[in-house]
Amino acid sequence: MTAAPVEIREPEVGEETTADRPWMVIVWNDPVNLMSYVVYVFQKLFGYSRKKATKLMRQVHEEGRAVVSDGTREKCEADVARLHAHGLWATMEHDA
Amino acid sequence: MSRWKRFRAGPDDTLVVSLAPEEMTLLLQLPTELREVFDAPTSDPAAARLFPRAYLDPTEEEAESEYEALIQPDLLRQRLDALELVTGSFTRAVDAGEWREIALTPDDVAAWLGVLNDTRLVLGTRLGITEEERRVADDDPNVAAYAVYDWLTYLQGELVDQLLG
Repeated sequence: MTAAPVEIREPEVGEETTADRPWMVIVWNDPVNLMSYVVYVFQKLFGYSRKKATKLMRQVHEEGRAVVSDGTREKCEADVARLHAHGLWATMEHDA
Repeated sequence: MSRWKRFRAGPDDTLVVSLAPEEMTLLLQLPTELREVFDAPTSDPAAARLFPRAYLDPTEEEAESEYEALIQPDLLRQRLDALELVTGSFTRAVDAGEWREIALTPDDVAAWLGVLNDTRLVLGTRLGITEEERRVADDDPNVAAYAVYDWLTYLQGELVDQLLG
């Protein structure tokens, strides 16, 4: 991703259990999407707070990928499709 | 006085964008370029970037085929709808001194954001953009394309900043 107009200071975000959420949606880092745009998309699509959306964006940027949502195959496919519609590089995989 | 803004709040939930005539000329070309990518096969890296795979796992090839058959046509339709909205908004441009101004509805704004981003994805893929700082020689054949890319990056950044508030 490119450019960092957003400043953040981050506490940890609680992790939910994945027992009944067999699929994960991954967003991958790419060199074109703006950091601010990725935050905007996470907030718009998933209703995440600015803080959570920014934390996920930074994780994508720094670690190369982040899990942005999880659930059934149908839900995850729908999430991947919405991310693709917004130009983000997203895939889904089985929770290991 | 507040800073001059590319996108400023207008009446009735609109955002008003101000563009120089030559910037308007540049934007008018984008829909045609995007349509060409929409028509390209997914072996085209730019087309593949706009319509990526949902599954990387080779054992999910059946699900991937289904995704491409059932979902990607819908994604294409959404992109064509966005292009319609954007080209429609261009026809409403009015003169405001040295600028051209367009009042964008919330639907127009979403469409603009998508078209700007898609165009940057296509240009970025074609130019091989990386996160490294780039140095473009004056005689590089892509010097104009880099300039367009950078300007679109700026314009999209202004729009996102306005939306994030």
